[in-house]
Amino acid sequence: MLKDYFHLAYQSAKKRKIRSWLTMIGIFIGIAAVVALISLSSGLKNAVAQQFVSLGSDKLIVQAAGGGFGPPGTAVPVLLTVKDKNTVEKVSGIDITVGRLIRVVQLEFEDEVKYTYAVTMPDDDEEKDLVMEVNNYQIEEGNFFDKDNALEVVVGRTFADEFFERAVELRDRIVVQSEIFKVVGILEKSGNPQQDSALVIPEGSLRSLLDITEDFDLIASKVQVGENVDRVSENIKQELRKSRNVEEGKEDFTVQTPQQVVAILDNILLIIQGVLIGIAAISLVVGGIGIMNTMYTAVVERTKEIGILKAIGATNSNIQLLFMIESGFLGFFGGLIGVILGFSIAKLVEFIAFQQFGSPLIKAQITFTLLFGSLFFAFIVGAASGALPARQAARLKPVEALRK
Amino acid sequence: MIKDYFIIPWKEMRRRKLRSWLTLIGIIIGVAAVISLITLGQGLENAITEQFALLGNDKLFITAKGNPLVPGLTTDAVVITDDDLEVIRQTSGVKKAAGSIFLTGRIEFNDNVRYFFIGGMPDNPEERKLLGEAQNYKIMSGRALRKGDNFKAVLGFSYTDENLFGKEIELGDKILIQGNEFKVVGFLDKIGSPSDDQSIHIPLDTFSKTFNTGDELGFLVAQIQPGENIDAVAARIEEELRDSRGLEEGKEDFNVETPEQLASTFFIILDIVNLVLVGIAAISLLVGGVGIMNTMYTSVLQRTKEIGVLKALGARNSHIMYLFLVESGLYGLGGGIIGIIIGFSFAKLVEYLFLIFVGPAFLSIKVNVFLLVGTLLFSFLVGILSGIAPARKASRLNPVDSLRYE
Repeated sequence: MLKDYFHLAYQSAKKRKIRSWLTMIGIFIGIAAVVALISLSSGLKNAVAQQFVSLGSDKLIVQAAGGGFGPPGTAVPVLLTVKDKNTVEKVSGIDITVGRLIRVVQLEFEDEVKYTYAVTMPDDDEEKDLVMEVNNYQIEEGNFFDKDNALEVVVGRTFADEFFERAVELRDRIVVQSEIFKVVGILEKSGNPQQDSALVIPEGSLRSLLDITEDFDLIASKVQVGENVDRVSENIKQELRKSRNVEEGKEDFTVQTPQQVVAILDNILLIIQGVLIGIAAISLVVGGIGIMNTMYTAVVERTKEIGILKAIGATNSNIQLLFMIESGFLGFFGGLIGVILGFSIAKLVEFIAFQQFGSPLIKAQITFTLLFGSLFFAFIVGAASGALPARQAARLKPVEALRK
Repeated sequence: MIKDYFIIPWKEMRRRKLRSWLTLIGIIIGVAAVISLITLGQGLENAITEQFALLGNDKLFITAKGNPLVPGLTTDAVVITDDDLEVIRQTSGVKKAAGSIFLTGRIEFNDNVRYFFIGGMPDNPEERKLLGEAQNYKIMSGRALRKGDNFKAVLGFSYTDENLFGKEIELGDKILIQGNEFKVVGFLDKIGSPSDDQSIHIPLDTFSKTFNTGDELGFLVAQIQPGENIDAVAARIEEELRDSRGLEEGKEDFNVETPEQLASTFFIILDIVNLVLVGIAAISLLVGGVGIMNTMYTSVLQRTKEIGVLKALGARNSHIMYLFLVESGLYGLGGGIIGIIIGFSFAKLVEYLFLIFVGPAFLSIKVNVFLLVGTLLFSFLVGILSGIAPARKASRLNPVDSLRYE
């Protein structure tokens, strides 16, 4: 019995090949667009999350509050200081603490003057290890500088290749502000564009270049093994409040775990994703209307057939089901082709992005939930679009239908 | 004769009302989506252009290079100071010049702490006018800053809202900025962008005491003498600043820009975003086109017998073809007209909502005739193109076979 429904629906879709194909094209274009966008954006979300997860869940980041756009420390009212770093260091449960400066510097190379952000590397060996671990710095060529006031810098791969007109190579000299620095190392490409275009400079050198004595833009801590990160974070807040002399609720700094940072980024990405998919979904609505149109036409054309079916005992619900299965089918197969096409587009975009920019941030993520979700959704769109025409078919009077 | 080409398709469309409407809806939705997105994007650009036009085309903006994200915010690498302002004032062709600086400050009132932009404003009303014109500041209540003001503040429109600090701030109230007490002497009119409406203006010398910035300035505005060529003055300012800062040509650590140049950066980003959104919305137009094609194929099939009769009466292949092309073109055109109306209305509605909830500075929707005609032409074209294959099929039907078709 159930087999008959599918058989009949399939036969009639097959009989009108062009129309069935065109109807399905309407659905699969929409599904393909939605699937490609979802898989690309969730891939992006994962890549972003991964960048932070590599930080490890035992790290805490302290920043001054109220900053504007840009990296930590940009335009904040009350900067973090060496004193704050010492305070954080003494909080119980903290293993190692590092402070970093992220500042704009003027660079000159081969008569070209440009500006970019320089990040500092602390002098202490343990602290250095933490920075290396947190940022996943891997040296590709050369070495890291080992003296705190060395006139030496390490640059990211993208910086070396693209920042200046001529590529920067190992042992090249770059003028930072007023001093000549030697490039002693080039970092391996990490995929994080910010890190790949970074210039890493010894903390002491930057301090004397820019005449900074006390400030820090960012303080990062590693929590001792076995300690509760949230509790340590509360302790840090309490100690900093005391030392910076602010009341609870009026903190001029924030203490965040990498997870919290990811959560904020996730929210932003979610909004962008929502807008894009919302617009793409409009084409699904149009596709659904196409199905409805096809089904209405089918009902008109098959009036006589319906009359015969009813005359030999088919009930209204039989007829309704028959038409809904046909339209659901159109949706389902449109969805199937759409999913395949959508994933292919996403993979293609990933491939091109990797070839062109070497960016591993753009990754197509293909999940079973997305796959079955879209198929199910396409089927629902089809069945829902068919509901009205099917009702019309079911309510035909057998006698009048036969006379057509 | 030509009239017939339109009458027959029109009658045909009316005979199958439901199908015609469903086909039209497909195109309508697509056109409406594209039109409203383009219009909103252009509205945003219009609003920005208007903002920059308010600055006037006789002004130049001088900022330090270095901070690529927020022009006017200070960085350690390069600073602009009072000395530079003096150099610009001496440059020939410059009528007057003024400088200002903005930093995020810690603001405390009613036991709440928030962080917003604090701006240092010159106490000379002429100079402030130059900056005020440039930034569109108008006093709503109270008074502007004046010479001799110490630790007085003029607050943005948002501070009159109790949501910001749990309590409305009123004239004469005391607020803490960076721990220093300031008396509120005036409020600015609503500007429309949150960052402007949430900013606070204090006198420049108080600013440098509060933030320890010395004689540092964030950005300078220079107004040129009437009749001077703005590019020539810009070049002269560049030269003078290079001299006074001891820099070679091509190694400037500052920018001299006209308002248009400032705006162009925004436009590049906006255009890209807009292109992506419209591109995605255009997919639904494509789907709508497929819908027309489908309807036309069905129509050819249903009218096979009719086509046979027409051919038997002497209609040529091309006649039949035109008949069907006009029909599909009408679908595109009709859908386009209704879609444009809906799309524009939607954009207008969004503009209205923005006006109520955000402020006047964000959207300025204008009817763009070029866009209108372009879209109509495009949707007509989509209709025709979708109809070509079905129309060809209809025109090539064999009269004898089609007469026999049941």
